[in-house]
Amino acid sequence: MSVTEIAGRLAGVDAGAPIRQSSLWQDAWRRYLRNRGAVAAGVVFLLILAWCVVAPIVSPHDPNRIAFSDAYQGPSWSHPFGTDQFGRDLFTRAALGGRISIGIGFGATLAILGVGVVYGAISGFVGGKLDNALMRFLDALYGLPYLPFAILALAIIGTVNFWTMVVALSIASWFITARVVRGQIITLKENDYVRAARAVGVRWYAVLGRHLLPNTLGVLVITIFLELPGVILGEAFLSFLGLGINPPDASWGSMAQDGRDAYRAHPHIIVIPSLAIATLVLCANFIADGLRDALDPRTKET
Amino acid sequence: MPLLEVADLRTHFFTRAGVVQAVDGVDLTVEKGKTLGIVGESGCGKSVTALSIMRLLPTPPARIVSGSIRFDGRELTTLSERELEDVRGREIAMVFQDPMTALNPTLTIGTQIVEVLQRHLGLDHGAARRRAAELLDEVGIPRARERLDDYPHRFSGGMRQRVVIAIAIACEPRLLIADEPTTALDVTVQAQVLDLLDDLRREREMAIVLITHNMGVVAESADDVAVMYAGQIVEHAPAHELFASPEHPYTEALLAALPDLDDPAARERRLAAIPGRPPDLIDPPPACRFAARCPYAGCGDGCALEPPVLRELRPQHRVRTTHPASERTTVPA
Repeated sequence: MSVTEIAGRLAGVDAGAPIRQSSLWQDAWRRYLRNRGAVAAGVVFLLILAWCVVAPIVSPHDPNRIAFSDAYQGPSWSHPFGTDQFGRDLFTRAALGGRISIGIGFGATLAILGVGVVYGAISGFVGGKLDNALMRFLDALYGLPYLPFAILALAIIGTVNFWTMVVALSIASWFITARVVRGQIITLKENDYVRAARAVGVRWYAVLGRHLLPNTLGVLVITIFLELPGVILGEAFLSFLGLGINPPDASWGSMAQDGRDAYRAHPHIIVIPSLAIATLVLCANFIADGLRDALDPRTKET
Repeated sequence: MPLLEVADLRTHFFTRAGVVQAVDGVDLTVEKGKTLGIVGESGCGKSVTALSIMRLLPTPPARIVSGSIRFDGRELTTLSERELEDVRGREIAMVFQDPMTALNPTLTIGTQIVEVLQRHLGLDHGAARRRAAELLDEVGIPRARERLDDYPHRFSGGMRQRVVIAIAIACEPRLLIADEPTTALDVTVQAQVLDLLDDLRREREMAIVLITHNMGVVAESADDVAVMYAGQIVEHAPAHELFASPEHPYTEALLAALPDLDDPAARERRLAAIPGRPPDLIDPPPACRFAARCPYAGCGDGCALEPPVLRELRPQHRVRTTHPASERTTVPA
């Protein structure tokens, strides 16, 4: 094998092919694809999403139709996941529950990201006394227990629906994101190119928006998949306790609650939503891991 | 009237360990279209001086405690951040030491040049891109138009420094501060970059402050030279005069430390060095800061008791010492 061929193999491109220009994101994508676990997790994640979107549309069963004659059926061809104590089709219902669980999960994660980025970016960029004040305030909030605070928030708001769940689950969980973003901004701020941009008179908001925030995107993408499992588990926990989504709407947490009474005789009712939660959380963790290795190859060079 | 006049500038860093008097008495004059070289060893305050003029030091911990910086008759020390943003890049621009880090790796170089052009000159995007290509061409980057859409990592160190220079001169500033612009480059590339800066200076009648620790660089490109030691200017003179007849003992020692490859006898000797170390700038000596390393200290002229002032020995030749070479009656102790 010639030197160029070896170099080509190492670079993951065909030897002899002209060296193509590739952006940071293309490079990261290539590294991600080489991580089999992360790719598998990504595929399963997308399959679950597809199932949640498609199943309720094509299903012949009405997910909210109560028919006691069909209650407690095990998995079969007409009901792949069986039915619950009201005779509702679990295949369709779990997909609908997934829409709500994942929807709340992404909604709350984006809320966390939004608040965290604004708070962290201001704190890190302005620095000095303001930074100190904002961080000490965060230290005080840090002691707040996440789930009791979510329950409290729901109690104060008074109504439980999709949006209040998003608020309740994000209100006490944006602290870490704010800190991560602040740290990133402070590190990036010390770069010569930031000083160079200021040396030619680039306005502060352009420095922040064009030179600092875009460079935190990698970290933010990772943060999405790091925060998602916690929020989805939180939602499931609240719904399992009966504090979350109200019937007849379903989330995976409330479906697990439905299966609690008959878990010995008919375990599939509690197992299916629980399995869905576990799979999704596992996938999100694997994806976050893969993204981190792909976007910051120095942390793990194989 | 000189383009830039810095008088008795003092920039201190207020740290937990104490007040670091990084710049403590800097007087500079830069004439229109001329190059002023600032030389001195590491940590003597060259870069802090440059960043003070640009007002780019983080405050806190840094603060300009006294002195004035007059640019074209306008006092810079009292300008607001907003006013400074209009001066930077438009009137005064800066080139940094390491071209590998002075460009944003996530933006194409076209974007980075266009950003400055749009910011100060208000060009529309198309016009700014055309101008950006012209600028790249001017600083000697081949196939300038195609390379606008390349990211910085596609350029070599020397080419990147050319891009950095293109960004700095984009809005035709009247003063360019170059902080060790060649230190991170290969020797052959160094000469090219210095030539480029000199060409640009002549074509645009732009003044340059060239910061370096390399006497050879100064000899080659500076019209005037300021020698810094421990946060102070110790000698300020036209380049030819400084090299022909240095007055300050520190300048003499620096010049004596230059290796001379043409002299066969010198090739056999050890290289000359200046004994001792520069003083701690948190607690500098009360009088002359060079006293501890000066061969003429302790000759009985009281230089270690009374801080010497920067005085005009001859027209345009200022020096901060009690015993300049031309007034010396004593021999080294």
